[in-house]
Amino acid sequence: MAEFRAAKGDLVLENVTKSFTNFTAVDDLSMTVPRGAFFALLGPSGCGKTTTLRMVAGLEQPTSGRVLIGDTDLTGSRPYERPVNTVFQSYALFPHLTVRDNVAFGPKRRGAKDAQAQADATLALVQLTHLAGRKPTQLSGGQQQRVAVARALVNHPEVLLLDEPLGALDLKLRREMQVELKRIQTEVGLTFVHVTHDQEEAMTMADTVAVMNLGKIEQMGAPEVLYDLPRTKFVANFLGQSNLLSGHVDDTDGEHIIVSAAHHKLRLRKSRAAAGSGDIAFGVRPEKTRIHNTDPGASAAGNSIGPGTLLDVSFTGVATQYLVDVPDAGRWAVYEQNLDLDRIDSRPGDTVWISWDPGHAFGVRP
Amino acid sequence: MSALAHIGGSPSGTSTTAAPEPTKRGGMAAYLLLLPGLIWLLVFFIAPLVQLATVSLQSQFPGYPGYYYRNVDFGNYGRAIVEYWPHFVRSLLFAGLATFFAFVLAYPLAYAMAFKAGKWRGVMMICVIAPFFTSFILRTIAWRQILSDEGPVVSVLNFLHVLPGGHITETWVAVVAGLTYNFLPFMVLPIYASLERADPKIIEAGGDLYANGFTTFRTVTLPMSMPGVLAGTLLTFIPAAGDYVNAELLGSDISTKMVGNGIESQFFKVLGGYPIAAALSFTLMAVILALVFLYVRRYGTEELL
Repeated sequence: MAEFRAAKGDLVLENVTKSFTNFTAVDDLSMTVPRGAFFALLGPSGCGKTTTLRMVAGLEQPTSGRVLIGDTDLTGSRPYERPVNTVFQSYALFPHLTVRDNVAFGPKRRGAKDAQAQADATLALVQLTHLAGRKPTQLSGGQQQRVAVARALVNHPEVLLLDEPLGALDLKLRREMQVELKRIQTEVGLTFVHVTHDQEEAMTMADTVAVMNLGKIEQMGAPEVLYDLPRTKFVANFLGQSNLLSGHVDDTDGEHIIVSAAHHKLRLRKSRAAAGSGDIAFGVRPEKTRIHNTDPGASAAGNSIGPGTLLDVSFTGVATQYLVDVPDAGRWAVYEQNLDLDRIDSRPGDTVWISWDPGHAFGVRP
Repeated sequence: MSALAHIGGSPSGTSTTAAPEPTKRGGMAAYLLLLPGLIWLLVFFIAPLVQLATVSLQSQFPGYPGYYYRNVDFGNYGRAIVEYWPHFVRSLLFAGLATFFAFVLAYPLAYAMAFKAGKWRGVMMICVIAPFFTSFILRTIAWRQILSDEGPVVSVLNFLHVLPGGHITETWVAVVAGLTYNFLPFMVLPIYASLERADPKIIEAGGDLYANGFTTFRTVTLPMSMPGVLAGTLLTFIPAAGDYVNAELLGSDISTKMVGNGIESQFFKVLGGYPIAAALSFTLMAVILALVFLYVRRYGTEELL
């Protein structure tokens, strides 16, 4: 039996690939999670995010590549040899043990003399002291979730893995737990790696988000940066919504490039374009656009599209959502906050134009 | 962009219909559904039990063997225990051994079925259940041939000179082997059910929390399957302790008889043995109940108590 490895430092994945019999779940993935970061792996189901997490935990072994913490290579070691703990999606609490014994399980296995005291201290951190004597089945979903977090945290792992930890909770409780997890992470200062398919959850909690698709990381960065400047079509649509229009770079104009698409010449800042020439997809977020019932004219040339036909208007209270069919440019969405005192009174069938501030447009690889 | 909602031209104005009032008929229906089962138990379980109890207290007419009169003669119990205490000891011992061996055989089998069998799980399940398609008696007679002096088991053991006495039938080994075999499925199935129900993630969590394979088994898997183990041991021990077929067909005429054989011979072979047989039945029931009660108290889980 190999020894427990007390590694310290950043979590590093080097060219990690995991192949199963007939598909590749994780494809040559490399990333570094700085020590103490709250890191989110975001992606649709089947994108390989959970497999990546399980390889860090040691529950799966990579087909090739290495998993390191600091300078210590953990590849090939068993889960119980790693300074890593997991909060499982279904919590996986031991049903035959009390809450306190569940939490004390890890310290006991490592021979801690004060396992019960450690458990009590951690239960206090997640505010469950009063339920320490209960069995997991006697707790609500949110309470079980906090026991699962405490059971992992008590071991002071170098990396704490959270596998869709809030998936089973209702919306209100999920919001509460988001804040709670963020508080705990700040308090203990451990590296958290959080796997989720919920973009809002990832953006709310993590300081770095990696968007995964088909076993690869599409883009990685701070949530604000990812949202403001997506680099791929997938990120543009998975993280929020985007109006995307395929075209090609026609010309340059100082700091801008001119994208020719659907009979329009659209201006795009060079720094916000994934490519300086050739094919490109022009994008702008629905909430960054405005709707007009007259042609905004030459002043908005390059920063507007139209005319189009208004298909649908939905008033949601805080905003109004418009769906516009622009000939050859597909359907565009516009979210307008109801700021104007005299709103334009558009109805489906009306002819409308859409404009935006050029700083909000972005270009992604087609 | 398909996420945009449709225009809510007019909010749907249909009010929700009130939920139907719960009626008293629900309570009555439950009792009506219970009734057939209760009547069945009353006629075929409670009544015979009362009848048996009265028989166990009857006295014989002196000088008229086979004739009794109604009495409250607890002496029958004393006489039954004095005469048959070795049978009691053997019953509990053989049933205990059979339960132990069945557990030792069943746990790995159930574990393999639950976690390792994959596509073979169904086949293994059929193999466990298949013996039920043949009569219990026939299978026990088949064991007599398997264990016979000319049979493969004894031949091999004798060839190796490792079998003291030279034969297995007519010994306690054959009786315990038969009991173990006959009640094995009752041990396998509950253990399998409890292991199969266990979330594999919980076992993974053991590994994640610094327990190696064996420690995870000892501290997580085995305790989680305890309800199944408890059910399996009860389902094996209780019928095995009352069994007489295995001792009758595989054991010897004297030294391996169990309480069941005593009851059988008092009822069917001894003239005027009814009160003793009834007293034996009640004593056996009481002993098993007491043992089960202590066992469940000691090892039981909430699910069973």
